[in-house]
Amino acid sequence: MKINFTPEQDLFRQEIRSWLEQNIPSTTLLSLDTKEGFEQHREWEKTLNAGNWSMVTWPKEYGGRGLDLIEWLIFEEEYYRAEAPLRVNQNGVFLLGPTLMEFGTHEQKSKFLNAMATGDHIWAQGWSEPGAGSDMAAIRTTAVLEDGYYRINGQKTWSSRATYADWTFGLFRTDLNSERHRGLSFILVPLDLPGITVRPIAQLDGEPGFAEIYFDDVKVPVENLLGGDGEGWKIAMATAGFERGLMLRSPARFQQTAAKLLQLYLDNESDCSPAMQASIVEAWAQSESYALSIYHTASKMLAGGSIGSESSLGKIFWSELDHMMHQTALKILGASAELSLDSKHDAAKWIKGFMFSYAGPIYAGTNEIQKNIIAERLLGLPK
Amino acid sequence: MNFIFTEEQIQFKDAIKAFLNDECTPESIRGGWASKQSFNQNRWKGLADLGVLGSNLSEDSGGLGMDQVALVLMVEEMGYAGLPEPAAEQTFLINDLLPMLPPKIQESIQEHHMSGTSYISVAHPLAPNPLFLKESTGLLIFEEDSYKFVLTSDVEFEEVVSNDPSRELGRIISIKNSISSSENFELLNAAVLSRGALMTAALLIGLSQKMIDLSSVYALDRTQFGKPIGSFQAVKHMLADVAVAIEFARPAIYRAAYSLVDNNPKSALHCAHAKYMSARAAEIASKNSIQTHGAMGYTWEMDLHIYMRKAWSLMACWGNEDKQQNIIFNTLKSSKDELGVLYTF
Repeated sequence: MKINFTPEQDLFRQEIRSWLEQNIPSTTLLSLDTKEGFEQHREWEKTLNAGNWSMVTWPKEYGGRGLDLIEWLIFEEEYYRAEAPLRVNQNGVFLLGPTLMEFGTHEQKSKFLNAMATGDHIWAQGWSEPGAGSDMAAIRTTAVLEDGYYRINGQKTWSSRATYADWTFGLFRTDLNSERHRGLSFILVPLDLPGITVRPIAQLDGEPGFAEIYFDDVKVPVENLLGGDGEGWKIAMATAGFERGLMLRSPARFQQTAAKLLQLYLDNESDCSPAMQASIVEAWAQSESYALSIYHTASKMLAGGSIGSESSLGKIFWSELDHMMHQTALKILGASAELSLDSKHDAAKWIKGFMFSYAGPIYAGTNEIQKNIIAERLLGLPK
Repeated sequence: MNFIFTEEQIQFKDAIKAFLNDECTPESIRGGWASKQSFNQNRWKGLADLGVLGSNLSEDSGGLGMDQVALVLMVEEMGYAGLPEPAAEQTFLINDLLPMLPPKIQESIQEHHMSGTSYISVAHPLAPNPLFLKESTGLLIFEEDSYKFVLTSDVEFEEVVSNDPSRELGRIISIKNSISSSENFELLNAAVLSRGALMTAALLIGLSQKMIDLSSVYALDRTQFGKPIGSFQAVKHMLADVAVAIEFARPAIYRAAYSLVDNNPKSALHCAHAKYMSARAAEIASKNSIQTHGAMGYTWEMDLHIYMRKAWSLMACWGNEDKQQNIIFNTLKSSKDELGVLYTF
């Protein structure tokens, strides 16, 4: 055990820090869930790519830097510290990217990873359906193989970023006689194909952060199949592992929130009851623990280990932590805690975060589903 | 950046685990309760033979020269087994402090203690009733602004009954012929506080792991409504909550241990963090484990309480959650600019 950064890692930190200082947009971008804001964020993805910062862990040939997970964590720390814009291509870079790296052919990697890095392809998720939420194996949208293409019919929902995205990835039933998790395939679908209708859904903040996608005889070339026909479930589980695990929420995000919460408390300390101290401590202690756990996991992975059902533990932990921190902030803010973003009040950012923190325990598999996974796969309890 | 253990550290931990699995069974612990003799000399000797008692003494003084990182792994196993003997205390609070004590105390300790199996107890305002005085050769006492070493033969004490029958406590009535000092008191007191917090944290995480393991086995075994109760989501979710709490306390313990090895100026904060997270994990482990066991969990017969009682004791001493919270809060206020995303390590 040696948990200090190497001189090379410190240099890397300096490099990303000075690049961010020079390149972060001087004005805050509009919300990425508005049409204009989405394109602003796409531009930011292009800027990142021009600096070779899209995804530092990818091999150089796909637009990365060939670095390891520790450097990715350093990148994330600097990124959040600098308050750089949200990654509009999160679904692509952090979810589909690692999946392509593991299951994609060379052609698929070249095509999709490079376009992802340049921001030309912004990705939406296509998992849930009206009848398949927590029970994802109940997927009914079909993709029937005909000569050279899949003909897709059905409906996806809660597709994050789908309102303005270019592509979606998800699971489709390719064996019509199959049931549950058998007979599903992982297919990549351009959202501008004939027969696709995207219907935006307004979220709690009023913006269309997700959408329904309707497929009506949509023809997708067979080369857009990722992995083997019928192997979709296995691949989706790997993606879900990345999502819940290291990639979806890097610890820097929560450490940064905890630091801001501490400052908010110190600025308002004379108005707070002593009970707030306990919440401030909890915010720091838990965000710190989450960071330590992720570095520990990253070290284990670099030593040849893999991440499995353990990722469910982290997903519960950070989502509950995020909610607790925002609840605490609202208590400190007192009456300002009702002001919306349109009020231009500083407090409003906390309220936006507060609302979003209610989504954390739901997306990427509800926390209740995660608890079932923990109980069954880690503790050995029966189904 | 390499946040994992060495092969050697894992092997040593596994050896201790195997030894305790054989020698520190629930039956043997209950035997100690019945005879009011929880300190088992054979087991203590076995730990000495394994090298555990001198694990963190220097190789010159016949030890294995291990550091605190190796130590926490080992102590976690002592917690898991519910080990009554104070091997964690001996290594963390005596061996580890020895080089920091003034020469006259060091010499006296080395004279009376370095037989390999003799044991020295510790008293501190945060753990005022020293463990197993009857079996000790000496006693190190921390007071408000000084500390002293005394041979146990010069200590008059009375027994104090702990809620954990495996912890035979004493209350000091009077002492004579002590070697007293206030040299480097603040440094030493900080060192023993950090080590006390970290030691109890590692024991608590081992105990929490034992509680969740016992509960998982029970939930598989016990059937109601024609099914194992572990198939019900209400039970699954309670135990999953325990698993989450344990998972995120462990790396805090490992980081705190490394901070001691690395002389990190924030080691006091890191040790407080480790105890804070572990005490909370042990709290939910106790609550949800007894609930999983139902009425059986509330019996003397079920082994769960062997571990639960020890956890309650260790949550209370060497700084409970409230004390650690204070340490963390005061540090957050005084050094807010040196905490957070850039200062994890």
